[in-house]
Amino acid sequence: MTLERRHLAIETGFRVIRVLEDNLIFVSLLAIVAFFGVISDSFLSLTTLSTLFNQLPALTVVSIGMTLVLISGGIDLSVGSVVALSAGVIGAGISLFGLPLPLAACLGILAGALAGLANGGLGAYLRLPIFIVTLGMLEVARGLAYLVTDSQTVYIGAKIQAFAIPWGGSGVSASILVALTLVVAFEFLLRSTIFGRQIVAVGSNESAAEISGIDPRRVRCTVLVISGLLAGLGGLMNAAYLGSADPNAGIGLELSAIAAAVIGGTSLMGGRGSVIGAFVGVLIVSVLQIGLAQIGITEPTKRVITGAVIILAVILDRWRA
Amino acid sequence: MTAPNPRIVAKGVCKSFAAPVLRDVGLEIPPGCIHGLVGENGAGKTTLAKIIVGLEGADAGSLLLDGQPYRPTNTADSLGAGVAICAQELSLVDDLSIAENILLHISTSSWARIRRNSTHEKAWTLLDLVGLESANSRSRVGKLSLAEKQLVEIAKTLATDAKLLVLDEPTSALTAPQAERLHGILRDKARDGVTVIYISHRLGDVLNVCDRVSVLRDGKVRLTEDCGALSEKALIREMAGADADFEAPRRSAESPAPLHLSVDGLRTSKLPHAINFNCRRGELLGIAGLAGSGRTELLNAIFGLDKRLAGSVKIHEDGRTTEVRNPRQAIRCGIGLVAEDRSRDGVFRDQTLGFNVTVAGLGRISDRTGRLVRSKEASAVGKLIDALRVRSNGVHQKMRELSGGNQQKSMLARWLHCGSRLLLLDEPTRGVDVAAKLAIHEELVRLRNSGITVIAVSSELEELQSLCDRILVLSKRVLVAEFHRSDWSQQEILAAAFSEYAREDEPTSVAVP
Repeated sequence: MTLERRHLAIETGFRVIRVLEDNLIFVSLLAIVAFFGVISDSFLSLTTLSTLFNQLPALTVVSIGMTLVLISGGIDLSVGSVVALSAGVIGAGISLFGLPLPLAACLGILAGALAGLANGGLGAYLRLPIFIVTLGMLEVARGLAYLVTDSQTVYIGAKIQAFAIPWGGSGVSASILVALTLVVAFEFLLRSTIFGRQIVAVGSNESAAEISGIDPRRVRCTVLVISGLLAGLGGLMNAAYLGSADPNAGIGLELSAIAAAVIGGTSLMGGRGSVIGAFVGVLIVSVLQIGLAQIGITEPTKRVITGAVIILAVILDRWRA
Repeated sequence: MTAPNPRIVAKGVCKSFAAPVLRDVGLEIPPGCIHGLVGENGAGKTTLAKIIVGLEGADAGSLLLDGQPYRPTNTADSLGAGVAICAQELSLVDDLSIAENILLHISTSSWARIRRNSTHEKAWTLLDLVGLESANSRSRVGKLSLAEKQLVEIAKTLATDAKLLVLDEPTSALTAPQAERLHGILRDKARDGVTVIYISHRLGDVLNVCDRVSVLRDGKVRLTEDCGALSEKALIREMAGADADFEAPRRSAESPAPLHLSVDGLRTSKLPHAINFNCRRGELLGIAGLAGSGRTELLNAIFGLDKRLAGSVKIHEDGRTTEVRNPRQAIRCGIGLVAEDRSRDGVFRDQTLGFNVTVAGLGRISDRTGRLVRSKEASAVGKLIDALRVRSNGVHQKMRELSGGNQQKSMLARWLHCGSRLLLLDEPTRGVDVAAKLAIHEELVRLRNSGITVIAVSSELEELQSLCDRILVLSKRVLVAEFHRSDWSQQEILAAAFSEYAREDEPTSVAVP
């Protein structure tokens, strides 16, 4: 009887470990939150939540695009600059040309999609190395962002901020709702649609995908356009949060997005990854930043710790696979 | 025999990959002897060569070099012992110059400073020797033609001053005069006491240059004799084996079926000679030929993977004729290709079995909006893996965990899932165990009987003979012969496969992509 009970206990233990292992990133996120909650009195508060919600939307949507591109076996280094370009287009459109906000927003997102189309056309159809193409686009889009804003922060005003300002005291804004909806939608796209399967197939084995009747160029190009489009939306979110268009916005954002995707279990080799995972990756990076700041860690040390966490995530991922 | 101590002795060498490749192989070659090694594809020639230079390890058996035990584990070992190989797959670095490629092979230390002038001088002499006068030793290897690259590879091997040279198909891309020049060099080397192992499909060359020759069949040495006493016919007979004329008459009487595929004047960059043939519905058509004779290229061309230079590939179905232009259209026309290199062109190893089976026919498991329906997927895949007896833990098992035979069956399942009516199978039983092989054979016959047309490439003639209704033979990228079940013999098929290689007068033209 006791023996049986012990067996049961051991079995349950193993099962718990298995579940924890399968959901390692969620567990890690909870552990980080718990850690800061214990150490800092002010961490588990509404202030922290609204800080988090302010930072979250742009990085989240950019990370969705990055995740899709990485799963297809590509990379998009231009997203940070495209965020600035889109914000710049929106700012210039409203302040200099007096366009209505919705039209300016659409133009900003369109600019992002065009940058993605250029990446996709050159990388997928002309078969240029996508790393170099998007590295070039990183410079091009940044330059264009400076050109449209005349290298100055363009003030837009309160109208656009409505998109980012939380409703009541909840901390929830339109921005964050859009970002969350997109996370769910793109996870669905990836898991449950033909196109999602095609992305995974191309990233997993391009030659086999082609023989299976999938056009790898079309798939690669489409995910880059999606990534550009989402970066364009990120630009809108960034401008809404700041109330202005900053041509220096999004510097280094591509690296944060790659880090979030990788923490979330996406393989840089392609063929594996998850949008939900990338979102949890975004949460981990952001919570870590806020938490470390709250307990008085200096900026240089914060960077050391964040970098170490990214490397640790890859080690854990390798060990599990 | 008062012959000097043998240069190299192989005793009881065995090697298996998925199946045994070498079985108890014994050889003894004296210094100054050019020893030929011939056999069908997969007879084990290249594996034996790789074992001698340490690129593969033997499972059993021993090697003696000049009477000393010899157990190389890499080419650095074998080079140190004075053994060099000119491999079938060229091992040149495209971005380095000819001279640098040669130096790469003979430099004694990784840190040795590259002395340009002396390197180029040595390279120059060697290139002169093999007949590459026109090439500047400083030019990049990447710019050379395949034949020139092969000459560089040979020069590289000669540069080592080894006492045992292993040449694996050294003349496959060379013209007759170039090959003759090489043979002269080899004879000179042999006079100086160097031992040469010469592997080739060109039987005329072998009889011409070698002193002795061994025939490998099914991983065993079947014959070792002085070349003077042998003819090409005798070699082919020995390669084909005593059971050459075995018959597997288990076909029902052929009824004239409608035309399914017609290939007219098809040419691609890799198939320079126009190819014409037809295939009827429910036919099991075999394609035979030596490695590199264009078999894979033919299947790829039908499937629309390689750009077509001339001719047409047409599918005739339900009274309609469709021209096939690219893989996506081929699939819509009901064609499926199972590629030779399963891991490169077939499986998605990190994805699930279900993913792998459905990937070419996702439309069949989704609704109109493009949303995948899990229940449809599970039942479709489940039915197929039951029917094909794919051994797995279910549709969610990762492909990489499946055995080669089960992976191969799921490649068939992939095309059956999307409703293919014409299967192009490139070496469908390569690297699978005997049981799986039989299961795949049974499945192919069953498919054929259910009206599916199958075109299969195989290096094993016995396999084609026991399965197929008709066999086409490719030789050096030329479609040379057609045999019907009633009137074929293994010897005739083999002779056809060698025929174009025997025509010395015509230079080998191999298209460089």
